Amino acid sequence: MNRRSLLAALILTIVALLRASPSAAEPYLAVLEGYKCNVCHVNPTGGGLRNDFGITYAKVLLPAETVDNALDSWTGKLTDRLRIGGDLRADWSRDTAPNSPTTQSFALEQFRIYADLTILPDRLGIYVDEQVAPNGSQNEEAYVRYGSTTDGFYLKGGQFYLPFGWRLQDQTAFVQQVSGINMTTPDKGVELGWEHSAWSAQFDLTNGAANASTGSGYQLVTQVVYTKPIWRVGIAGSSTQSSAGDRHMGALFAGLKTGPIAWLAEGDIIQDDSLERTEAGGLLEADWRLLKGHNLKLTAEYEDPDRAVRNNQQTRYSFVYEYTPLPFLQLRAGYRHYFGIPQNNQQNQQLTFFELHGYF
Amino acid sequence: MNSRLINAFSRGGVALGVALLAACAGNGEGLDANGQPLVPGGAAPAPLSADFESIQENIFTPICSVCHAGASAPEGLRLDAADSYNLLVGVPSTEVPSLDRVKPGDPTDSYIIQKLQGHAAVGAQMPDGCPTTQPCLSTTTIGFIQQWITNGAPPAAAAAENAPLAVTSIVPDQVESVSAPLPQVMVAFNHELDVSQLATHSAHFEKLAAAAAPAVIDQVPARIAVSSDNLRVLMLWPVQPLSAGHYRLVMDAASSSQISDIAGQQVTLGAPDEFGETVISTFDVGVLP
Repeated sequence: MNRRSLLAALILTIVALLRASPSAAEPYLAVLEGYKCNVCHVNPTGGGLRNDFGITYAKVLLPAETVDNALDSWTGKLTDRLRIGGDLRADWSRDTAPNSPTTQSFALEQFRIYADLTILPDRLGIYVDEQVAPNGSQNEEAYVRYGSTTDGFYLKGGQFYLPFGWRLQDQTAFVQQVSGINMTTPDKGVELGWEHSAWSAQFDLTNGAANASTGSGYQLVTQVVYTKPIWRVGIAGSSTQSSAGDRHMGALFAGLKTGPIAWLAEGDIIQDDSLERTEAGGLLEADWRLLKGHNLKLTAEYEDPDRAVRNNQQTRYSFVYEYTPLPFLQLRAGYRHYFGIPQNNQQNQQLTFFELHGYF
Repeated sequence: MNSRLINAFSRGGVALGVALLAACAGNGEGLDANGQPLVPGGAAPAPLSADFESIQENIFTPICSVCHAGASAPEGLRLDAADSYNLLVGVPSTEVPSLDRVKPGDPTDSYIIQKLQGHAAVGAQMPDGCPTTQPCLSTTTIGFIQQWITNGAPPAAAAAENAPLAVTSIVPDQVESVSAPLPQVMVAFNHELDVSQLATHSAHFEKLAAAAAPAVIDQVPARIAVSSDNLRVLMLWPVQPLSAGHYRLVMDAASSSQISDIAGQQVTLGAPDEFGETVISTFDVGVLP
């Protein structure tokens, strides 16, 4: 590491230590570093646009190799008040399942642009997350934010992702699928949040996805997380009132750092009156930072789509290698094996993928 | 305190890890392919494959037709076994009329694939509410539909080619409500039609007054065509947008109401009234929400 990188790392460390609750981008990074989500992200519940610290972390601490000069001036800020960012993921994947034709293809998974306009510093801002490709523009998040997202209360109003358990990068993870809350399912409403020391809490009142077309009903979501340098624990609950049937969910999740490994665990239980069933999902993830810029991600997942029905459980195991050679560039290669009931081919598929991830 | 908590978390994590790693997938005993308990005496559906019959049995019927059925089927798209093929293949989507719902040989430009993958320019990903209230279709499942489309989207092998020519569905009909502007009226048949006969047909839309004895207060001529990708579907469009109101689609008196298939079989679209006109469909056009 050269002197410039050492200096940047030192500054980052000092800044992190000075913050009330130190934090990063993906959940495993937050666990490894002992950070809360708002240390690296504009959004206090994580994901999307990175703040000054998040950009610096992405430039200096995350990649295997830092690049001097060329990236020094990039902070994500176009002006003092306007910050932008983006994510592009393109991949090749191969999907095989018993008694089924193998499919393989290149795909542009997503290209998202983020923007945050500060109207009154630390008090009032507008945030936008827009997916611009593939196939046209689609708004994911757009909200007004009032209050402090680093220490104290804040209020969001508009469209945003709901806080419920780990906000994983993999939107197909069983816990993200059974809860239905992930980074493809924003909702409209308001969020009251509180950030203080090791505590983070949110209370959301939204339409509820099931009520999008009926104009009736609502969804309440609450999440509380307690974060310490090498461990954290969180609890979340959600209740949706809908003419289609009510839906109640609970989640317990935790993270622990043991040496170079970050452990993430989550258990979800869902009672869905519209489907007249109770579902359950579980996740255990280990992220092993082998070297700077190299991460090995292993996951074991469990899903019971209907606890009243026997012999229908599904599991999934994943092996993913993430290599970040340079700032703002990540290469991912992975293999996922699904295990389900033998008469359903799709529940026994195997997925291999290579992904190119650019972000700024 | 911290070391105790860490130990507790470590033990909990290890226990959860062991439980997850040891957790086995269900053996499927007593379940159908959708993971539902078998009905005593009922036959389990065949595993999903890239043919229409299998896709209908494993996807459209158990998943899609929960909503896409009957007079209130969203976008007039009925996906029950009787209607789905003819309302999908070669039929323009109502949300993006420049794209067919299923374009044989071209899954990329088939609107159903865009809707299932969540990339469509309009509306939500299907199945509706996925992944909130139900899982989205897996890449593999969508792959079967893509493969079927790539293969030319052939109908079910068991399609009754020997049965007499008959109308299988008309959309909209039975005083259904549709949002203005009406995209098209579709009349689906069980056989491919003789398109050379179409020039002899003409039709128009009649707007009716709301009265006990409805009077025609406006007429709009109709265009008639058969989808080049699905010769089983007759489509009729108003030549200008229809305003809100109660309508019927009428085959003109001077035009034969008999439609022929390529084998020469004929079917009558409806019984002519006292003026010799045949009412094909009756529906309401509402204002856009």
